[in-house]
Amino acid sequence: MSGARHRAIVALLVLLAIAPLLALAPFAPGAVRLAGVSLLWWYTGLIAPLAATLIVVTLLWRRVG
Amino acid sequence: MTALAAMALWLHPVLLTALALRVAAGEADAPWLVLGALIAPLVALLAPSRRTLERGGPAAIATGAVLAVLLAADFLVAGEAAALLGGAPWQGVACAAVVALLVVAWPDTARAGAPALVLGVVALLLPLGAVAVGVGSAPWSAWTRAASRPALTFSEHGPWSREGERVALGTRLAFGDGQQVTAVTPGTFRVIEHDTPQPTVREWRLAAGETLTLRPGDELAVPSGARLRFQAGRRIPGAPASGPDWADAPARGPGMLPAALGVLVTLLGAALAVVPSAPRGARAAVAGPLALLVALTGAVGWGVYTAAMAPELALGGSSLAPLLRLPILGHATRGRLLALLALLALGFILLAVAAAARARLATVVAPAPGFWAATVAVAAALAMGLSDPWWLLMTGLGLAAAALAPMRLASSRVAALAGSVVGATGFVALSLLPVLAPGAPAWLGVLARYPALLAMPMALLVAWLLGTAQKRRPPARGEARADRVEEAAPVV
Repeated sequence: MSGARHRAIVALLVLLAIAPLLALAPFAPGAVRLAGVSLLWWYTGLIAPLAATLIVVTLLWRRVG
Repeated sequence: MTALAAMALWLHPVLLTALALRVAAGEADAPWLVLGALIAPLVALLAPSRRTLERGGPAAIATGAVLAVLLAADFLVAGEAAALLGGAPWQGVACAAVVALLVVAWPDTARAGAPALVLGVVALLLPLGAVAVGVGSAPWSAWTRAASRPALTFSEHGPWSREGERVALGTRLAFGDGQQVTAVTPGTFRVIEHDTPQPTVREWRLAAGETLTLRPGDELAVPSGARLRFQAGRRIPGAPASGPDWADAPARGPGMLPAALGVLVTLLGAALAVVPSAPRGARAAVAGPLALLVALTGAVGWGVYTAAMAPELALGGSSLAPLLRLPILGHATRGRLLALLALLALGFILLAVAAAARARLATVVAPAPGFWAATVAVAAALAMGLSDPWWLLMTGLGLAAAALAPMRLASSRVAALAGSVVGATGFVALSLLPVLAPGAPAWLGVLARYPALLAMPMALLVAWLLGTAQKRRPPARGEARADRVEEAAPVV
């Protein structure tokens, strides 16, 4: 496996692992509201999906080049 | 198979509708389920495949079983659609089976799934966009609205409290507060009272217009097709008590970590088994991740708007209720057309799933249409006998993770075979744990619910140990080296 792909997979797994940690950690950091929406849903509904897709699309695009 | 068509094997209608329902119902695990459903196939796209395709044998049996179970879950959703539209569930299952069989007629099945998937995803977003425009709020505003409700109650203007609604699928409703339920059509209802250590079950035969008084803590077993009217202003049975409870489920806490791990391991393993590596040098490969992002964001959107506008749609647990009923509530005139478009979208996505599944089966079993027809028949039979599409989906994904992921990751044929057999056996044994060992400790329950949590690591360990042992053995003349990693399409 190439280094870039390896790093991308690790980044994806880290992005995934953060979600349950945000939700289940003591003192519920995921419940903090930012602009009316909880941090957990900003993360799982917007930030992490966009970041994960961007990582994979960038990598696949580079492989084409 | 193109990357987009390969993604169709992941984006099952049951996955999209179940996620929408879980978001709408405020299930505690919904946030990481959504993210897991997106990231798991992305990991699979990047992970290399070590094994080349092998036709026949255990791979064929496991592939056939996994595809049949996953298709059965999709067929159950079609059965729910038929029930919501006033028909019998078997009619929906039969329609879905016919759609799945139609792919045999397509000349290039492996590529045919891509256009159907694109059409399906676009058609799924159009009614959602119309709902959002009709409400006049962005998804984050809808989320805030849903999370700020002081109580989730039946609206005065909603159909459930005005003229009554039909409960499409038989269900059991748990009442958090006391209320009177009126039978709009005659029927037999069972009330389960929990005010004593041993629950008391009472059966009531109600004529049209007769009322049943339920106390807090009571459960009401409703037969499918019954039409009921609830009291306006009273809490929705089974729904979270309030908006804050919907947003931050009280059940969410450190105790849920094993279950979260179980579902994420199941999703990751299943994606490795189902989604192949992205082809090298193909510009179109980026279409797969983009389609995944759009489809799953759409599913979350359906769930959030349902929670904001009509949380009672989650009543009864029909995963299709948000897609088929929300547009009708939002748009009186165009609503039915939009609901039909949402249904059509799921039909296209099912077609894409069937095309991708048929292509996969042809590579590991045989291209003869008879094998595909037999798989569809088994799936239809399963759908007729079972009732929970989410359970079927998780079972299919778990079996794929335990039995098929080792075939992709093992470095030799023997290691792949041994890993697969150990994984499948472990999966079946753990699934049967509640039956085999009824007195087992409660913490083992998570292994029975997510058997892949233990079965997949066991299978991968066996495959790795055997692969390592074979590496140390000097290759015989003419034998290929076992440790060579090569890019190949996975067996499933």
